[in-house]
Order: sequence, then structure tokens, then C-alpha cells
Amino acid sequence: MESIVFGIGITALAGALATVAGAAENTESDIGSQGDPNSQVQLAPQMGYIHRIFNKAVAGEPPAYGLWIALGAGIAWAFMAMQINPILAIVLGSGLAVFVQGVYATTAYLGRTASLAKFGQPVYVDILKSMTTVTMAHAFVAIFTTVTLCHLINAALGHPFPLPLLGIVWGIALGAAGSATGNPFYGKERQYQNQKFGAGVPIAASGNIVRYAEAGERNSLDNGWFSAKLGGPASGVCFGLIVFLELWRTVLFEQVGAGWGAIIIGIIIILVFTVIDRYIEVWARKNYGPYQKPTEEASS
Amino acid sequence: MTVKVEKIEGGIPHTTIMVAGLIASVVCIYLTYINVLTGTQLFSFFGGLGTVAALVWGSHTIKHLCSYGIGTGVPSAGMIAFGSGVIAMLFATKYGIAAPVVAVVLAAVIGLILGYVANNVLNMRIPVMIQSLVEMAIIGALVLMGYAAMMTGSFEFTSLTTGNVVILGLSLPSYQASFLGGALIATAFMLGAIAIQHPFNACLGPNWTQDRMLMLAAECGFLSMITAAVMSMPLIQMSAALVSLFVAIIGWFYTYSKYIELSQRDAAAWLDSKPIPEVEGQ
Amino acid sequence: MSAVAAKPTAGSAVDMTAMIIGLIILLLVIAATYFVFGSGLAFMALIGIIIGGVLIGFGVHFVPVGGAPAAMGQAPGIATGVAMLAAGAGLAGLFGGAWAAQTTDNLYVIVITGAVGGGLMMAITCMFVTFIYVFGMGIPCASGKVLKDPITGDTQPEFKSQGTEGHGLPFVSYVGGVIGGLFGGAGGTLIYLMLLDLYKEELPGMMNALPGQVLPIAVTLAGMFAIGMFLVNAVLAAYNITGTIEGPHDPKFKRFPRAIVASAVASAVCGIVAIMIVAL
Repeated sequence: MESIVFGIGITALAGALATVAGAAENTESDIGSQGDPNSQVQLAPQMGYIHRIFNKAVAGEPPAYGLWIALGAGIAWAFMAMQINPILAIVLGSGLAVFVQGVYATTAYLGRTASLAKFGQPVYVDILKSMTTVTMAHAFVAIFTTVTLCHLINAALGHPFPLPLLGIVWGIALGAAGSATGNPFYGKERQYQNQKFGAGVPIAASGNIVRYAEAGERNSLDNGWFSAKLGGPASGVCFGLIVFLELWRTVLFEQVGAGWGAIIIGIIIILVFTVIDRYIEVWARKNYGPYQKPTEEASS
Repeated sequence: MTVKVEKIEGGIPHTTIMVAGLIASVVCIYLTYINVLTGTQLFSFFGGLGTVAALVWGSHTIKHLCSYGIGTGVPSAGMIAFGSGVIAMLFATKYGIAAPVVAVVLAAVIGLILGYVANNVLNMRIPVMIQSLVEMAIIGALVLMGYAAMMTGSFEFTSLTTGNVVILGLSLPSYQASFLGGALIATAFMLGAIAIQHPFNACLGPNWTQDRMLMLAAECGFLSMITAAVMSMPLIQMSAALVSLFVAIIGWFYTYSKYIELSQRDAAAWLDSKPIPEVEGQ
Repeated sequence: MSAVAAKPTAGSAVDMTAMIIGLIILLLVIAATYFVFGSGLAFMALIGIIIGGVLIGFGVHFVPVGGAPAAMGQAPGIATGVAMLAAGAGLAGLFGGAWAAQTTDNLYVIVITGAVGGGLMMAITCMFVTFIYVFGMGIPCASGKVLKDPITGDTQPEFKSQGTEGHGLPFVSYVGGVIGGLFGGAGGTLIYLMLLDLYKEELPGMMNALPGQVLPIAVTLAGMFAIGMFLVNAVLAAYNITGTIEGPHDPKFKRFPRAIVASAVASAVCGIVAIMIVAL
């Protein structure tokens, strides 16, 4: 009984850490325009819209976070093997991983922008100086929390995978959940604020991203502020739920019915989410109603 | 297996880079064998240099392959390279001194079959597909072997699985505190998989230049080597790890500043705190 | 993922000769394993790995991914890369399966636990995608490839906004995502389990150590190979659908026989090498 209570406590803590990680991950990638919305930041200068948005194309979010987390976990493992206390080891590991992330961010921005010279997109050094540090700070939060939750899963809950292997698994899952949830909110809602609300961006408008702010020119910190409203928290809750429910069903129900308990609970959870999804979909169809009968492909 | 070099104006031809990368990488990995001959671990850093050579070659292979448009992101190419390379590399470590050569041959075979499957069964019909996947599997295997040699001082299976904390290598913690037992290979996997695709992913665009991309590839290699040196600390002597770290930092600093210079050369303008240039009609 | 204006070249035709050659390679590998190792654990491991690889390759076809245009609401699906999203789900499943493998020996329980782990990850992710589209951006879900949702019968074209190919995840895509996660999780776990059993059996003799001592090595080797083979299969399947697919109702879904052959061959080749590490 005591071990189950302990397990539930760890599960809750891991879920909370994962929530913070997801929120920080999405905000970080949106400040850097990483992931799919990056294609528009890259496209804009080619359509004649020179901008001051950070263009940090390290890789897609899942592989990039696979590396940051696996690296943080690997270095933390190495320090722990040298008899350094785990908390300090995780902080050091995350710090070094963030250094790597920062260097990759600068080289990605310089590389992409220099390759756009033909269209007159200049390199803004001040973007490098002010945005890289902010993404590094967010990345540190994401890496530290995820490596910590991996360590908890390994050390407290007794998962057989060593720390770096858990890092690769949850790093890729973190990037996948964060990019799936957060990308559309940044890509459609922020980059194309000037387009009609409640409709997809017409393909003809691609590249015409918003480049001016309430005052002056928009930079990526404004985008981080915007994503932190909904995209970030939603990604956080998404990743938090994934980690929490996955651990919860195993810790509580693994012993029930020789392992079938966890399976049945998992299927029930999937069905619950299916019902919620269907409800949202129908709600949208009813309340938003159909668009006008589509005519010829007209651009707005 | 026809080679159709596309839009690589001037610069070094791909074949040259391939041959140089292969030879440099294999030779560097073999140089870690001096460790065994001299009984020290100070020469482990050659493994790291081998990964840098392989990654430079790999970035150009990715450029070669992805200039055809493979329908999915550039990073996926790095993933398939290392997914096939890791298997060949671990198998090869069983063969002692012959390991790097076995890794190259076996990875080539795996890559050949994967390339055939992708090109013909999946009907992708990309002329360089088979050759590229062969190269990538070899690169994946060599990079992982380089990291293994750098972090453990040797590329043999027993040293990958046995930590050097305990001298006899028979008690429980010695297996756990090893390159494989601690799954440091997972970190090496991701380090290589990102470093191989990043140079092309970051430098793609109409003003792509070869020297800038290759410099970035070397920079990524040295950056990964810094972290690999840190991770090698519990596995080899501290002095050897520090030598690796020192070499990596020097190499990284040089390539990073060089890369910034090259970016400055290629960029349209290099501005600090300046507004968007005014273009009429906006 | 990246801004390369890629022109996918893979057609939908099936190259029969290549398929047959692929199947011959597959049979050769299986036969070679049988003759070298007999019908013991190693042979069963190879069969398990091939089945696992096929499950992964097939499962990727269900995962609704729209790539870069999906992030702008220009195309339906999830806005990320297909190989990596499938990997995220499959590895989450592998995590659950590996954990279950510690407490039980029942193959079905372990593999189904892994499958449910992958399905759970996709269910939550897909639900949040719909949530963001509907409550964050005010956009209803609409498919661009079919007139009616094959499961619910909802009509699609009038919910498609002007100048786009559709957006969001219609219910059939959601179900596809969950099925993809289930297959991916099951496949990854099966590969892991097969290799783990083999390594636990063979490594102690090979390394002259007690089974308990080599357990970390066996876990890492099996886990690393499971991840590696997962990525190889997922990327090959992603190549097959040229990076984007709407789900099981997409016409591209019909290309899956090619991916099954490709995954089987790729898994067999990788699998036999992974087996030879300990059994040769």
C-alpha cells in the first residue's frame, strides 16, 4: 500500500514536471519559429516580405528535443556515475545541453538567413543576441524538467531503461506532442493574424506573414508572449496528461488481472478522449456552421 | 548506381569528399588503437576527430540526396542513417582490431538493401538514393564507433560493455557504468543524427555555398565532441577526457568563428538593431 | 519540418519485379537464419522482429500528418513530421511495454500494453489538436480528400474554408491516429521483447557473467535496436506516403502493400544482424 501511495506521488510529480516541460518547449520553439511554421518565416523573404523574426531551423521539434533531452540525460548520467548528487548532475547536464542548443540556434539562424541573401534578407545580430538567450532559458526549463522526470521514472518507479534511453523516448514524445498541439496556433493564429479569423490561411496568402507589431516591428519575443497564452499551456497539458496517464495506469493497475488491468484502463482512457474529441468536433460544426458554398479558388 | 551531381557549382566534387571522409574517419578511429599499443587512453580523442570527418562527409551526402526532394523532412534522413548504422556498428565491435572495416562493409550491405527497398520497392526512383543510403549507413556506423572509441578508449565489445571503475570487470556496477550499460549510445545516436542533418537543413536556400555548409558540419562535429568528452569522464581516465575536451573546444572555437565569418561573407547585410529595410510599395 | 519545396517523386504504381526481389531477399534472410540457428529462440526472434517492423510500417499509414501546410490550416492533419510523430507515439508505447516486460512474461500482455501506450499518446495528442483548432483558432475540422467522413457520415466540403485543402482532424483521421499509435506501440514493443529475450539468454554465456549482471546491457541493446529499427521503418513508410497523409481514407493509404514489403525486408536485414551479435 505504501509503495502505491509513493508511486502515485511520483506519478503526480512527473505529470506536473511534464506539464511545465511541454509549455516551455512550445514557447521555446515558437520564439525560434522552429518546426512547421518555420516554412513561412523562410518563405516570406522570397515573396518580398523582409522580416525580423528569429528563424531557428535546427531540425523538426521531435528530433531536436530528442537530442536535447538525451544529451541532458546522458551528461547527467555521466556525472551521477562520478558520484555527483543527482540534482546537481541534472542541472549540469541540462546546462550543457542548453549550451549545445544555443549554439545550434545561432548556426541555424545564420545559415538560413545567409542562404536567403538573394532576396535581401539581412542578418540581424541583435536578434541573435536577444532571442537566443530567451530560447535558451525556455529550453533549460524544458530540458531540466524532462530529465528530472526521466530520472524519477528510472530511480523511483523502477523502469528498466537507463536514463539516456528514457531521455530519447520522452524527448521525441515531448517534441511530437508539443509540435502537434502548438504549431497550428503559432503558424495560423500568430503568423497570419491579418487573415480572416476562423478559417485556414488561403494558399495564395502564403508568405505574407505579419511583420509589424502594435508599435514598431514584430520580433519573436512578441510571438513567445502570444504562444504563452494558449499554445504553450495546451502543449503542456497535452504532454503532462500523456506522461501522467501512462504512469498512472501502470503504477495503479499493473498488478490487477496479471497485467490486463492496465490495458483495460488504457483502453477506457482512449475511449474517453475519443468521446471528448467527437464532442468538440460536433460542437464546432454546430456552432461555427459551414462556410459559404466554396466557389472558385479565390484568394482574400 | 549512377551518380548525378546536381547543382553543386564549382566546389569540391562529392566523390572527393566521400573518399576523403571515409579514409580520414577510418584512419582516425584506428589511431585510437595507439591506446592499446602504448597502454594509455590519451589518444581517445582521435575517435572524436573521426566522427568530425564522417559528419562532414555525411552532411554533403544529405545535400546530395535531399536536393532531389524526398517528400519528407531532412532530419528523417539522419534518422535512417543512424538507425541502420547502430546495428552494423555494434555487430562489428565483436571483431576486435578489424571492427572499423567490418562496420564499413556490413553497413554498406545494410544500406544497399535499404536503398534498394526505398528506391525500387517504394518506387521513389531517385538516382542517388541507393548510393546515398549506403553512404549514410556507413557514416552512421563510423560516427557511433568514433564516439564509442572516444568515450571508452577502444572500439571492442568488451570495453563497451564493461566500465573501468572496477579493475577486474566482474562485479555488477562495472557493467552498469559502461557505454552500453548506461545507454550512452542513445545519446551518441542523437548527437550524430542531429549533427549530420543540421548543416544542410540550416544552410539550404538559394544562396547555399559548399564551404559554409562543410564548415558548419565540422562545427557541429566538434560541438558534439565537447559533450562526448564530458560524458567520457566516468569511463576513461580523467586526463584522457580532458585532452579530448581540450581538442574539441579548440576545434569548435576555430570552426565556429570561421563559420560566422563565412556567414558574414554570404549574408545580404550584417545589421545590428536596424529596422526592416524600406522597400517601396509596402 | 523543413522549408524545402519538395516535389515528391514517388508514384503510386507498384513495381512488381522489385516487390518480388524484395520478397526473395526476405525469404533468403529467413532461410539463412533457419539454417544457421535452427528453429530456436533466434529464429523466433527474427520472425517477431519482422512482424514488429511490418506493424510499424503499416501503422505509420494511419497517422494523419499534414506537414508544414497543416500549421497554417491549409491542409488537414497534424502539423509535424510523420516519421517523428509515429516515433513519438511508438516510443511512448515501447516505454509502457518495456515496463510491463519487467513484471510479466505473458507476450500478449506486454505487446498489448505497448500498443495501448502508443494509442493513448496519439489519442491525447489528436484530442488536443482538435481542441486547438476549434477553441484556439475557431476552425472546424474538414477533410480535403473525401466528401463524407467514412465513419460518421459528416459531409466535409462545406466546412472547408476558401483557398485551403481542408484543416483539422475529422473523426476518421482521429481514429486513424489512434490505430497508428496502437500499431506503432505494438511493433516497437514486439521488437524490443524479442531481442531482450534473446539477449538475456545468450549474453551471460558470451560474456562469462551472471544473468543479473548483463541485464543492463541486454536492456540497452534491445531498447536501442528497437528505437533504431523503429526509425528505419517509420522513415521508409514516410517515404512511401511522401511525408503527408490524411488517414485511412486518403488515396495514398492504398500504397501500403509496398510499405509492408519494404518494412519486412528492412526489419529482416537489420534483425538478422542484431541476432548475430550474440548468436554467432
